[in-house]
Amino acid sequence: MASREIVQYDSGLSRVFKVLAQVFLVVYLIWTVSPFIIMVGSSMKDLLEAFTLPRVGDWLGALSFFDFSPTFKHYVALFAEENFGAYLTNSLIASVGSALVAVVLGTSCAYSMSRYQFRGKKDVFFWIISTRMAPVVAVIVPLYAIFRSFGLVGTLPGLILAYTTFNLPFAIWMLKGFFDNVPYAIEEAAQCDGATRLQATMQILPLVAPGIGAFLVLCILFAWNDFLFATIIGSGGAKTLPVATKELIQPQNVQWGKIMAAGVVTTAPMMLLGLLIRRYLVAGLTMGAVKE
Amino acid sequence: MVAISIENVWKYYGETVAVQDLNLECRDGEFVCVLGPSGCGKSSTMRMLAGLEHISAGQILFGDKRINELAPKDRDIAMVFENYALYPHKTVAENMANPLRMAGVDKATVTKKVLDAAKLLEIDHLLDRKPVELSGGQKQRVAIGRVIVRQPAVYLFDEPIAHLDAKLRARMRTELKHLQQHQGVTTVYVTHDQLEALSMADRIAVMHDGVLQQFGTPAEIYSNPVNTWVAGFVGEPTMNLILTEVATEADRPKLTHKGFTIDLDGQLGEAALRGNEKALRFGIRPENLKVSLERSPGAIEGTVYTRQLLGSDLLVEVETGNDHFRVRTSPAFEGEVDRPCYISYDLGHAHLFSAETGQSIV
Repeated sequence: MASREIVQYDSGLSRVFKVLAQVFLVVYLIWTVSPFIIMVGSSMKDLLEAFTLPRVGDWLGALSFFDFSPTFKHYVALFAEENFGAYLTNSLIASVGSALVAVVLGTSCAYSMSRYQFRGKKDVFFWIISTRMAPVVAVIVPLYAIFRSFGLVGTLPGLILAYTTFNLPFAIWMLKGFFDNVPYAIEEAAQCDGATRLQATMQILPLVAPGIGAFLVLCILFAWNDFLFATIIGSGGAKTLPVATKELIQPQNVQWGKIMAAGVVTTAPMMLLGLLIRRYLVAGLTMGAVKE
Repeated sequence: MVAISIENVWKYYGETVAVQDLNLECRDGEFVCVLGPSGCGKSSTMRMLAGLEHISAGQILFGDKRINELAPKDRDIAMVFENYALYPHKTVAENMANPLRMAGVDKATVTKKVLDAAKLLEIDHLLDRKPVELSGGQKQRVAIGRVIVRQPAVYLFDEPIAHLDAKLRARMRTELKHLQQHQGVTTVYVTHDQLEALSMADRIAVMHDGVLQQFGTPAEIYSNPVNTWVAGFVGEPTMNLILTEVATEADRPKLTHKGFTIDLDGQLGEAALRGNEKALRFGIRPENLKVSLERSPGAIEGTVYTRQLLGSDLLVEVETGNDHFRVRTSPAFEGEVDRPCYISYDLGHAHLFSAETGQSIV
């Protein structure tokens, strides 16, 4: 096996570049992390404290951001007054449900796309991905009309269906790559070992498991973070967290504390999921691309 | 353990014919090699035997059971693939146990059989490893182990040792042959390597362009090739096949060429005249020719073109009248390049092929 070491030799320019890169990373880190810090901090502050700003030029005054008595009243209010428990459940059902449906359908479709040759296969394949080319906004109105005539507007099954529609092409494209990388000979060997056609396919599923796992997470993320479908197709009976959060902005009263708390409630589960499956996610996303 | 009959089998891929009207009989317990270059239809034949591809026309019988419509799992076969096709996510032990598990054999028996097979193949110290941690030779043993844990009716080997290095290949030839004789399972072995076929097979089926050329024992194939194609494919260094013209002189047939004339008599002479052909290919293996620096009666005159040492032997190419004769001789031969030399031959080992059809006419 070739060494994995990337050989680099120092030169004056590369040292300057290294310093620049580090400066950039620090700025980038502040840029990305500070909204989260502000969100988490503000969610535990009174309205008055949340809007305390230091005078211009008073850099030490920025520390006053961390000077507050933590309160969880916004979180309590979210669940007690605003019914966020139900929205959380809705979000969970819609995202996990659509991810599961997309994975089951996507895996079987990707498998046949990878293994079978049939007339017009390339066209079918292109057609599948082309459904993702139009912006969601462009199709949302006709979709709404269709969903309404089937009585799916404002229901969780409706929302799951909508998400599946958009996740499925992605699933097929991504998983086909994974199946392509599994030699068909392994399935043939399984058949000679005494497996049926279906059992042989099942035998190779562990080999595409990283791909399926990665895709599951991406599906859940997409559905969880979605606002457009949720507000138009899910509104009413199937309100999800982003929609509920937006509704906290009322014409006469913007409930900043609750909004910040809702932001935390919405973000935390996905961050947790990301941390849990980080290793597999990276393996999954790269394995499809690199052939052994 | 069963006899195999392949009867009038055809294989099409769309318009392309891969296997053309194939007829083969493998006796119970026989080791049959299907030999041919890539694209000759040998792999298609094997895959039809395994049930990995449909039989376009004709039928295949195991014993007296027609297997055309049976799925691989119902054919009682075990196959070794060219690229081994091990399950990458399973350990060596799990890989080998898979066929037994599929058959629903109880755990204790599985463990015992896997261990027995592993010991036989000397891979019992690798049982906990994954295929990625194995060398090519070890992977190949695991693939064979997966096949021999059970006693199927037929073993199918699809170029199983093609990717090993030369030394390991030689060793595996011996071991596979020994194993097959030991177990007595009917075996079909596909290869493009004529040495593998000659050294291992009970009988060899030589295929070319989807057509069976010759089916016989290694000795028959080697000594009596039915056409120029088989003659040229089997044997290394390859047989000399020189195009000559037929002439008669005082009712005695002879072959004429720019560089030499060969007087024919007896069987060869009759055969040369029988077909009324104007041109014939004179075929003779390099080891049946002798080269010398001294002129002898009837010898073919030429000049040394190259000398190639083959270890124990020396291969001398001699140029005569724009054609080359390959001669296998002792490294003691002193002829340097461009020196004149003389080739003597024994017509008892010579072959004559029709120049037009390539068929042997003797």
